[in-house]
Amino acid sequence: MTTRDPKDSSSESTKVEVVSTAPELRIGVFPCKCGKNIGAVVDIDSLAEYAKTLPGVVFVQVNRYTCADPGQREIEDAIKEHRLNRVIVASCSPTMHEDTFRKAVKAAGLNPYLCIMANIREHVSWVHRDDPDAATDKAKNLVAMAVARAATLEAQKEQDVPVTQAALVVGAGVAGMQAALDLADAGFKVYLVEREATIGGIMALLDKVFPQNDCSICILGPKMVDVAKHPNINLITMAEVETIAGYVGNFDVRVKQRARYVDFEKCTSCGDCVEVCPVDVPSRTDQSLTWQKAIQIPFPQAVPSSYFIDPKSCLGMDLIRCGKCIDRCEQEAIVSSDTDHYIDFEVGVIILATGFKPASPEKIPRLGWGRYPNVITSLEFERLINAAGPTEGNLVRPSDLTKPTSVAIAQCVGSRNIDTRSGCSNFCCAESVKCALLIKEHYPDTEVTIYYQDLRMHGKYFEDQYLKAREEGVKFIRGRVGEIQQYPKTKNLRVSVEDTTHNKLQLLEYDMVILSMGAEGQSGNFPLPISCTADSFYIESHPKLRPVDTSSAGVFICGGAESPKDIRDSVIQASAAAGRASIILQKGRYPIEALSARIMQDKCNRCGTCVKRCPYGAISEDGTGKFTVMGALCQACGTCAGDCPPDAIYMPNFTSEQIEAQIEIALAERPEEKIVAFACAFCSYRGSDLAGISRMQYPANARVVRSMCSGRYSTKFAQKAFELGAGAVLYSGCHLQTDCHFQTGNHWMVKREPRIRSWMKRNNIDDERFRVEWVSAGEGKKWQTIMSEMSEVTERHKKSQPKLKKPIAKPKVKSKPKAKPKSKTATKLKKTKSKSNSTKKNATTKKKTTGRK
Amino acid sequence: MVDNSHNQELEDLREAARPCFQCGICASSCPVFRVAPEMNPRMSVDSIITDGQVPAEGNEWLCAYCLMCEERCPMGVSLTEILMGIRNISSKEGKAPPDFVESAEALLARGCLSPTSNRSVKKRVDLGLPDLPQPDPEHVKLIFEVTGAYEVLEANRVAVKEEAE
Ligand SMILES: Cc1cc2nc3c(=O)[nH]c(=O)nc-3n(C[C@H](O)[C@H](O)[C@H](O)COP(=O)(O)OP(=O)(O)OC[C@H]3O[C@@H](n4cnc5c(N)ncnc54)[C@H](O)[C@@H]3O)c2cc1C
Ligand code: SF4
Ligand code: SF4
Ligand code: SF4
Ligand code: SF4
Repeated sequence: MTTRDPKDSSSESTKVEVVSTAPELRIGVFPCKCGKNIGAVVDIDSLAEYAKTLPGVVFVQVNRYTCADPGQREIEDAIKEHRLNRVIVASCSPTMHEDTFRKAVKAAGLNPYLCIMANIREHVSWVHRDDPDAATDKAKNLVAMAVARAATLEAQKEQDVPVTQAALVVGAGVAGMQAALDLADAGFKVYLVEREATIGGIMALLDKVFPQNDCSICILGPKMVDVAKHPNINLITMAEVETIAGYVGNFDVRVKQRARYVDFEKCTSCGDCVEVCPVDVPSRTDQSLTWQKAIQIPFPQAVPSSYFIDPKSCLGMDLIRCGKCIDRCEQEAIVSSDTDHYIDFEVGVIILATGFKPASPEKIPRLGWGRYPNVITSLEFERLINAAGPTEGNLVRPSDLTKPTSVAIAQCVGSRNIDTRSGCSNFCCAESVKCALLIKEHYPDTEVTIYYQDLRMHGKYFEDQYLKAREEGVKFIRGRVGEIQQYPKTKNLRVSVEDTTHNKLQLLEYDMVILSMGAEGQSGNFPLPISCTADSFYIESHPKLRPVDTSSAGVFICGGAESPKDIRDSVIQASAAAGRASIILQKGRYPIEALSARIMQDKCNRCGTCVKRCPYGAISEDGTGKFTVMGALCQACGTCAGDCPPDAIYMPNFTSEQIEAQIEIALAERPEEKIVAFACAFCSYRGSDLAGISRMQYPANARVVRSMCSGRYSTKFAQKAFELGAGAVLYSGCHLQTDCHFQTGNHWMVKREPRIRSWMKRNNIDDERFRVEWVSAGEGKKWQTIMSEMSEVTERHKKSQPKLKKPIAKPKVKSKPKAKPKSKTATKLKKTKSKSNSTKKNATTKKKTTGRK
Repeated sequence: MVDNSHNQELEDLREAARPCFQCGICASSCPVFRVAPEMNPRMSVDSIITDGQVPAEGNEWLCAYCLMCEERCPMGVSLTEILMGIRNISSKEGKAPPDFVESAEALLARGCLSPTSNRSVKKRVDLGLPDLPQPDPEHVKLIFEVTGAYEVLEANRVAVKEEAE
């Protein structure tokens, strides 16, 4: 990874934010009635009166609907009139309207990051409807927590980085080709990197393609030529990406290209060399059904249209060992001195189109592939029925080269099996029906039977195919093939299968069996951390709403690399990925996360823990032992900060100081009754909101502290809460294994649980008072249950301590201000910060005196 | 008498059968199904899934426990556990086939199912091998007692008698 700082490169950014430098803290609080939604439960006037007493609050204004235009205008006016430099809107959930209010604040010239919300609707009025007093108390407490946090909020610069207007497309199957062509047509430079000697992928090997059964190479060939000829496409074959450094907009790519030994500019594909080459090796294109030479071309329509030498099988390109082809080639195209070499370039976006590989039948010995020559895979069948294949399109049995009179097709081989791949491979049902139709087309007398479990002919035009196959007399029998045995003399095959419609065993003899192979993922070997499913397909950023994005900004996926699919879906996804990528390319600048982590060098002890925690590889060491965060890669999850031993990582606006201030306020009164609940912004907080939206009632003793990701919750937050006497503490995140918005934050959080528990044990804190839970955005009910159960825990805890127990340790009042990272923004804010530090102290003490009536 | 353990056993079977998607690989692999078409392991699993009950026909008693079905099941269903579970439940209900009841009686009476033949005794002497321990019905009784096999056997004795009458 390079360490150039994107923030420097963006200093010439056109958008210059107004960064507040006002020395004095002037907080405006805007309690909202939300019509009756809040107003009918929470005593808003009393809340407003209370807010006025909070430290730093200089202005309070109640509104009926703060989010409506007049409400927003009032905020803008108040900011100007009362020189407010912090705004707190006490209304609905920040997921709902934080953006709205930040825009309003920005319109008034205040930095949007200086506006936060107190959630008194989803977390209060909607869930504590039957207890207005408790609801009002909780609302006051939430506002006080927000005020405490606001005191140390930092203005953030909205930044962006310049984008290199070029794209890398990896894999030149039909998906990669489509993505490259779309981007190139839009005017962007494209580097198309392909591992093999030709482009085209699996589609180039197929005979006909469903659902129309048109000739595969006839539709693909012209597209391949388009790719080769496009002035904006730089095609790099026989190559793989070696390293990638940088971040969205600025990826430094290094590609390793293998030696071809044939100059493709000179080679005319005459094939003279093949006549003299003495070496025979199994043909890759023809699935080892026939032979090829050491000097070879994958197939006649290959692009680039040139031979190459496989150095592993070549005897030696010199006159002593062989060198016959050099002698023969009249074009003098053979370059024996060719070597592997590296190509370096820069791109702004990356599209991964590396496809899948057909599943391996070797893993399923009961079906006899490899032992019985007449058991073949669907891809082998494609080559046999292909006019350009080893038999020139004559379907024959490999054992004796005779035409089969009966063929069985076995479905779901390598799919829907927990030992190989549990998922359905999507294209094989249609593939089998196509095979059957092709056989019937060439040899109408051949008997064809398809053994299926569930025939999934779901796509457009697919049902017509199925109907046609039935009309042609193809037999469909429901039941998955159990085993295949060979008659030793005839090499015929006995297929045993239960016809599950009739509950009858069938033991039938066939001349040939085709195994309809599923797909295996082959993703994850790419030099960028993009998460993959257990079966090695790339995981999209959101399965429905962002299906071709990945969690790494600027990296997109399409085609078989994302999941097994047919050509049409691959092409659709490819165009989608190209479209998404061109949004970034066309804009020329890419906004980066304003809240990215910063390492406070004076506190960092150089342990390097953060490097391992970061899911995005955003932290690196510069060679001198200094660790820095690359702003453009950081997504601000805070997982690094959660585990940093000396607490040396500064998470803007989610600082340890701010989180602890919220804990202190939440526990200022009757702490033994309170639940301090940490909730991550993407799952658990939304789950808690859903409980509110669904009006699920639960006790009013919880105080939610929101953070970007559960990875942010360090052990010390729970400890702090217990030290202050909290009744119970909840750490809630997105579900394991894969739900975390930040990939692995929740994994690191759960690793801290044992440490917290052993600390609790040492301090005689009941185990049940701490809980780690996974709550998704859809689990409002679960949130309600947890809240109710934890309230029982606090009840029990309270009873076991008849007298109001003193906190285990008094909250330490920090005297020296926190070390700050030496960034421009931070220095500018120095004044505000040290000032607000002392205000925060006031907040705690004042709360203690005024709060206890 | 409500037997909760019985319900729990059935619940465990339902749990174990749930992943089955009725592909038929087990049946097409079963050597018994080839010769006795009434014994279909897929159908046994199916009756647990769809009826939620132990099948009445009692075909599961034909299973040879060769484990072929379980080995090949693509969903990792523990077929032999299910088939054995079905037998256990039906035998508690007194529905074990008479020949199995007979075997159990023989075991109880003689301490073994098939006594050592005279021929093999002679062979051992010829080979100079030590005598085999004599089966002791007392041992088997003890086992029957602690495992609750007595009650199961009794239930089936009653059923066999009723059948005879
Ligand atoms: C037997 C069979 C029959 C089929 N029949 C049909 C049909 O009739 N109709 C239909 O619609 N679909 C059919 N399909 C599905 C179809 O093949 C796929 O939908 C399609 O090939 C997916 O295209 P792709 O570009 O995503 O992947 P691929 O075609 O697999 O292309 C991926 C490319 O990426 C390259 N690559 C992989 N890794 C790297 C790397 N690390 N660096 C550089 N390059 C890399 C590969 O060499 C390959 O060229 C069939 C599939 C099979 C297996
Ligand atoms: S030099 Fe290599 S490629 Fe050329 S003819 Fe000889 S063996 Fe074949
Ligand atoms: S762990 Fe999260 S917060 Fe820390 S550097 Fe990585 S992305 Fe940023
Ligand atoms: S093999 Fe497994 S999944 Fe298939 S029918 Fe039998 S038990 Fe069910
Ligand atoms: S274990 Fe029983 S059901 Fe399974 S294959 Fe063997 S005999 Fe058939």
